[in-house]
This record gives sequence, C-alpha cells and structure tokens, in this order.
Amino acid sequence: MKQLSLIIVFLVSMLTENTAQNINNRQVEEGILNASTKQVNQFFRRFNGEESTKGVRYYEGDKDYRSQALRSRYINVLFDNGNASITDPIKREFVQEVVNTGDPEFVDFHKTGWFAEVTTKFLYQGKDVYITLFMNIEQENLGYKWVLSNVYFPHFESMFSSTSAEASRFLHPMSHEIDFMNLIRVFNDKDNIELYAAKGHEPDYLSMFLYELKKGNLKYQSVSNLKFHFFQIGGWYFEVSNFNRPGANSGWLISNLMKVDKEEDKDTIIKFIMHE
Amino acid sequence: MKRKIMQTARVLNPRLIMMLILAISLSAGFSSCQSQKKLAKKKAAQELAERTAQAKTDLLAIINDEGRMTLEEKEFKLNSIKRMNLEDQEVKDLIVQAEQKIAVERAAIEKRKEDERLAKEREAGERGKYSSINDAMVAVAASRDASAANLAIREALQQFSNDDVPVLILISQDGDERDYDEPTTIRKYLEYLKDQKKSPDKIINAAYDSNGKIKELELQKR
Amino acid sequence: MAKLKIFIFLFSLLLGFNQLKAQDNISPARKLAIDSLALEKVRDLSTYISIVGNKDTPWSEANRVIERTLELFADGAMMGVSSINREEVNYYGVREYLERLMALNYDKVDITWYNIQYISDLERQPDGRYVGVITVYQRFEGTTEEGLRYVDVTKKDITVYVERKSTQISGRIIGFWDVLLGDIRVSETKPG
Repeated sequence: MKQLSLIIVFLVSMLTENTAQNINNRQVEEGILNASTKQVNQFFRRFNGEESTKGVRYYEGDKDYRSQALRSRYINVLFDNGNASITDPIKREFVQEVVNTGDPEFVDFHKTGWFAEVTTKFLYQGKDVYITLFMNIEQENLGYKWVLSNVYFPHFESMFSSTSAEASRFLHPMSHEIDFMNLIRVFNDKDNIELYAAKGHEPDYLSMFLYELKKGNLKYQSVSNLKFHFFQIGGWYFEVSNFNRPGANSGWLISNLMKVDKEEDKDTIIKFIMHE
Repeated sequence: MKRKIMQTARVLNPRLIMMLILAISLSAGFSSCQSQKKLAKKKAAQELAERTAQAKTDLLAIINDEGRMTLEEKEFKLNSIKRMNLEDQEVKDLIVQAEQKIAVERAAIEKRKEDERLAKEREAGERGKYSSINDAMVAVAASRDASAANLAIREALQQFSNDDVPVLILISQDGDERDYDEPTTIRKYLEYLKDQKKSPDKIINAAYDSNGKIKELELQKR
Repeated sequence: MAKLKIFIFLFSLLLGFNQLKAQDNISPARKLAIDSLALEKVRDLSTYISIVGNKDTPWSEANRVIERTLELFADGAMMGVSSINREEVNYYGVREYLERLMALNYDKVDITWYNIQYISDLERQPDGRYVGVITVYQRFEGTTEEGLRYVDVTKKDITVYVERKSTQISGRIIGFWDVLLGDIRVSETKPG
C-alpha cells in the first residue's frame, strides 16, 4: 500500500513537472518567435528603430521612435550570425555610420535603391528550370506595386554568348547591290545571328521572357527563394535573406554586407547580382 | 644625598617619559580634532549641496514627468524632499510647483475613477435594459454542442423581427467618425457566436418594431 | 438654378474630400482598431479550421462552416504551403484546402496559436485599397482514430485587404471597414 502511494506521488510529480516544462518550452519558443524578424516589414521597423523590443509599434513623436540607442541595439542583431564574412569590425563600422547622430541613415520601403531577387521555378519545354526575377516597388495612382524589372534565365544568356571577335560573320558592305540576297547565309547561321546586329545591341531578357510565357513555352511552377538587395545606405551594400531555422537569430537578416566606396563599385555589384 | 638624587632621577624619569608621551599624544589629538571639525563642516556643506542638487533634479523630474512615474512615486519623492527641510529658495519654489502638479494629477485620477464608476453604472443599467437579448446570446455561445446551440439560436431569434435583422458592430470611434465592422445579420451573428464560442459583444443600441421585436441591433467590440 | 448647381458642386467636393481624408490618413488609434479586427478574423479562421477538421463535426455543420469561412476571404484567395524539407510551394484554393482538411478525418484536431503575432503596415495599392500581412504561428495537432499523432508548427503570413466602404441601413449611412483575408503563405517552422 505504502509502495503504491509512493508510486502515485512519483507519477504525479513527474506529470506536473512535465506540464511545467511544457509551459516553459512554450514561453521559450514564444521568446524566440518574438526575437525572430518575422516579416521584411519588421526588418524595416527594426532597422529604423520603429518598434519596441516587445514588438510595440512606435510612431513619429513617440519618445523612442528612431532613437539611436534602440537602433544600435537592433541593427546589431539583424545580422546572420552564421556568416563569418560579416566580421565584427565591418559590422561595427556599418552600425556606427547608420546610427550616427549627426546624419543617421534609414531604409525606406517606398524609395528606390532596393530590389527583390526572386528565384522561381518554371517548366520550359517540359523541363524544370529556374528563372531569377528582379522586382522593384513602383508608385502608381493611389498606391504602390511590385513590378518586374529584369530577368535572368541561363538559357537565354547562352543563346547570346557568341563573341563578336569572329571576323568572318558579317554582311559585306555591298550586299545592298545584290538585294541582300546573301541574307540567306545569315539566317541559316542562327547560332551566331546576334553577330549581325548593330554594335551595342543588348538582348532584352525581360521581353524574351514575356514572349516565351505568351507563347506558352514557359509554365510557372512556384517561388523557391527570395532575397533583397539594398543600396539605400550611402557607401554600403547589403543583402537580406530569410533564415527559417531554430533560435533567435532567424527570419529576415542581413546575409551579406559590403563597403561600396565608389559609384562604379555599386554598378559592378548590381551587374554581378543580375548576371550581366 | 647623591643616592637620593639618583633615586629621584630614577623615579622621575619614567614619570617624565609618561608625561612626555601624554603631552605628545594630547597635542597630536588636539590638532587632529581641530582638522576633523573643519572636515566635517566641509563635508556637511558638501552633502547639503549635493542633497539640494539632488532634490532639485528630483523635483524637476516630478514637474516635467510625462507618465514615467506613478503618482505614488511622485508623492513619495516629494515627501522625502520636504522632510529634508532644505532652506534653498529654489527648492522651495520647486516644491510648490511639484505640489501643484501632483494635485492636478490627483484630480485627474479622481475624475477618471468617477467617470469609470459612472460608466459602470450606466453599463449596468444598459445591461439591465438589454439583459434578455444578452442572456439569449450568451446561451448560444455557451451551448455544449451544435444541436443545443441551434435550439438556443431558435430561441434567441424569437426576440427579433426576422433572421435578417441588421447587426452593426462598432470597432472604434474617433469623435464623430464611427468605424464599424462589415454589417451582418442576426442569424449570422448568432451562428458566429455558436462557432466561435465567444462572449457576445456589448449591446449599445436596439431599435424595436411595432410588435416590440428588435429590428436593428448595434453592438460594440469588447 | 445656377446657385443650386454651385451648391451641389461644392457639396460633392466636400463629400469627395472627406472620403479622401478618411482614406489617406488612418490615425494610429483607428489603425489599431483595424489591426485588431483583422487579427480577430485570423483567429476566427483558426476556430473554423478546427471545426472543419474535427471528425465529430456533422457533415452539414462542416459544410456550413466552410461557407462561413469562405466569407472571410477575398475571391480567389489561395493557400501556399511548404515544409522545412521542401522549398517548393503547393497551392490550394481556400475551399479545396478546407475540403481536404475535412477529408483528412482526424479523430481530434487541436489548433493553438502562439502568443506572438506581427502586423505589418497597411500599404496602399494602386486601386486605393489597403493591404497588409499578419503573421501568426500555429501549432496543429491531429490525432487519428488509431492514435497516430501529427504535429506541426507553421508560420502563417496572411494577406489582409482593408477597404473603407459605406452602406445604408434603415436610412442611415454606415461607414465600415471591409476586412477580407487574402492569400495565405503557410511555412513549416521549428522555433526551439
């Protein structure tokens, strides 16, 4: 009898401990979810110091709205800790410049200087292909919208990979006198056709993409990845990606940070992102 | 004779030494006592200045506070400053200002309490007025299962002109600007209570038809 | 006559202006009320989902609740579902999603939400409607008759459309906020 009651006591204590632990787990998980940067919108608010650490929205005129102390604290935790290439000194320099009392810098949803890179999956001639879409925020009428600004599809690019160094591919300057009858040679050489185009001609991949869609050659499947590129902070470039992983260092975080000293460097980075 | 002198000298010698020691220690003690007094005076003055400065800061914090301190905190601080009996005129003036500020706040709190009490009374009155509809709605939300809830809905509907009586739910009010949720009907609202098992929103108005049945209901989100 | 015309013109100008004013600047207090209304609709959705998913719910009731759930949504809203191991998104219409849930037939469905939510800014679209996204975290636990338990924690990013509308009820003009749910992105997550 005594043994039985002991067992019961033991079981009950185990049970209560278990529930206590469950509640505790839940609190820990909620703490983590609170810390996680849940939306890109929240990335903006945290970067700019527009919400309290408890997630309460600050409006212009509130005491801590965009306060330097809040921002220094926030921006420091907006980095992907798993990325060793974002070193502490470069982080420190960035944060210092961004929260600088004299000339603080902010990110602005509605302004230019940032864009989305969306990796999408399509069926192209029956095969799975990945196409990268570059998108911008654009104002129209009463509000704003996202628009397609550029496309990267390796297949398109490889179509235009001929180098103009090939000296033999041209329509000779007297072709007009023969009613361009030699065009037959040009159009039979379709792999190198672009070599017959004017100097400075650039293929427009976005138009080609729209054309292929309209022709029904491209069938949309889904989005497989998303990140954002920011050039809104003077002298800096950073990339924001989503980290769906356990722990507080999760959600939308800065996944890449670079100093951009010259305007040309910025163009180089954009060209690199767009595979140009 | 010589021996006597010697003796005296022997006797005297330790006494002399003792006296010397005493004199030295006394004089030393005296001089240290004098400097200590000076120091204490200085320290007291310094402390007073510090306390006065602190009192000023605290008083200014009370006067300029915009809701960081509770009224009790402010009163506690003010009282402890008053207990110091500081002679500084500026402190005295600030005390008067702080007292005024606290009095204003105290009055505002009393008024709020009174308003709340009145609102509660009014609400109780209204609850009484609409208690039978409210009870019928509570019965729907509290039903054990779907069939019990359906029965409660049928019963509740008897107080209304028909199933499609409009129900307005006020979500916010900013001066004359009243914001509602999308208007619904009484049947849909009762079914909503049944599904969501929520306590009904507060009834703020009801219009009756000639048969004494409700033809329009206005609620306010809790 | 001319006077009347001017009057009508001025009146309509005033009316138009008021409407613009009402839509252009939503004060923080009003925004808060809209936010909580939208959040409530999200929570209502969760309850509807657990009713539909519960085997004890009679078929006719489940169907009624599905209709009621669809009323929360804008036309054509979709659910896009992905899991941790699969980056691709599967799309379902809301009705299809609910009907699949009904067919799953868990003996018991327990849906709870974490006490964490994030409500984005309301951004204006070109057509003047406002759009926002509410993020909530839900724990779904379904138990089959055989006692098999399926548990997941999902992050739900729910589109919310907000539009100021007005209607006439017994001769009165009632201004209301039409809050409709839109596309929902469901992604599996592991907080701890």
